[in-house]
Amino acid sequence: MDIEVHMGDIAVIDGPHNLITSGVGSCLVVTLYDPKLQIGALAHTMLPLSPMQSTEHDTRLSGSLSSEAPFGRQTCIVAEQVSAKVEDTKYVDVAIDQMLKRMESKGAKRKDLEAKLIGGSNMFPSFNSDIGKDNVLRARDKLKTEGIRIVGECVGGSQGRSVEFSPTTGVVTVKIKF
Amino acid sequence: MENKLQEVNEQAAVNASDALSKLIDRQVEVEISRTEVKKVEDLSPLIGPEEIVAGIYLPVTGDINGAALLIFPKETAFVLSDLLVKREPGTTHKLSELDTSALKEVGNIISGNYLTILSNVLQIKIIEHIPNFSFDMFGAIVSQIITAFAQNTEKALVIEIEFTFKPETFKGYFLLLFELEQFKAMLGSLVGVAGGGVKAFLETS
Repeated sequence: MDIEVHMGDIAVIDGPHNLITSGVGSCLVVTLYDPKLQIGALAHTMLPLSPMQSTEHDTRLSGSLSSEAPFGRQTCIVAEQVSAKVEDTKYVDVAIDQMLKRMESKGAKRKDLEAKLIGGSNMFPSFNSDIGKDNVLRARDKLKTEGIRIVGECVGGSQGRSVEFSPTTGVVTVKIKF
Repeated sequence: MENKLQEVNEQAAVNASDALSKLIDRQVEVEISRTEVKKVEDLSPLIGPEEIVAGIYLPVTGDINGAALLIFPKETAFVLSDLLVKREPGTTHKLSELDTSALKEVGNIISGNYLTILSNVLQIKIIEHIPNFSFDMFGAIVSQIITAFAQNTEKALVIEIEFTFKPETFKGYFLLLFELEQFKAMLGSLVGVAGGGVKAFLETS
């Protein structure tokens, strides 16, 4: 079963299910993967920088999917979707802080984490918009500051993307129009 | 306000019908079959996020900042392109530059008519800018517009219009997004005579 992450949300997962998010334009998807623990996180961010830089206002949504698991075996809390409050994790910097917090609470070490960036397009090439580019630059900068390696990028251009992320393998699959 | 919106819709449909009939050189009737006011975060369920659509985006400035976005599902864009460039029906399977240009012109006509009438009815200055085109996933197109709003406001007013070209029944969506606070201020004098959903929306937002 895939777990959909909506615009402005993040999710952290330590089970066998994939995280998916679709219709990514100027938004930026950030994935974090810990190959040792085989846990992962995905953020569907919208804007580069929080005006207040406040990260205390996180509202957790549920996430136990154990009752829906086909056999219930070894499937505990699979995903924790964090903060449907779009004013928080819609920002790249806040989303990365929140993902790191959740990953570290599950035992992840920053030196082990691998990041991937997907999105940051400008869907209307004739219209001058830097939102996508700024999202990418902000994420690179923030990840560098936090000591996280970026191991893959599929960013820029003028096309929409859909993303599927496997937390057990770290593989990110990106779908485009054709 | 709803009466005002109704008035705007009716006039815009008549004017767009005339203008498109001239463009296509056959009788076209644009019917605005549905108008809804939504919060911006409720917009996405309109069409599936991965569905491929033609999106024509026109930035709006003046007394109020906003965006006009015309959406045609892929097949509708192909049928409409056949009509616009006078090809045999069913010919278009990929949009050429000519098709894109023709669809942008439709965007200009629909948006221009609507915004001119809105401007006249509400007595405000609305400037429509040149159309920008994208043929891609609905979610990716709309989210870029939403994101531009999210920089300035948490909420926006979305006027969603479904329209039909008769005798064919292509459906398209015309979305108008305005920053809610600006829109509320502008409508201050009109809300007093308004009724129903729009007024309730504005009061509770």
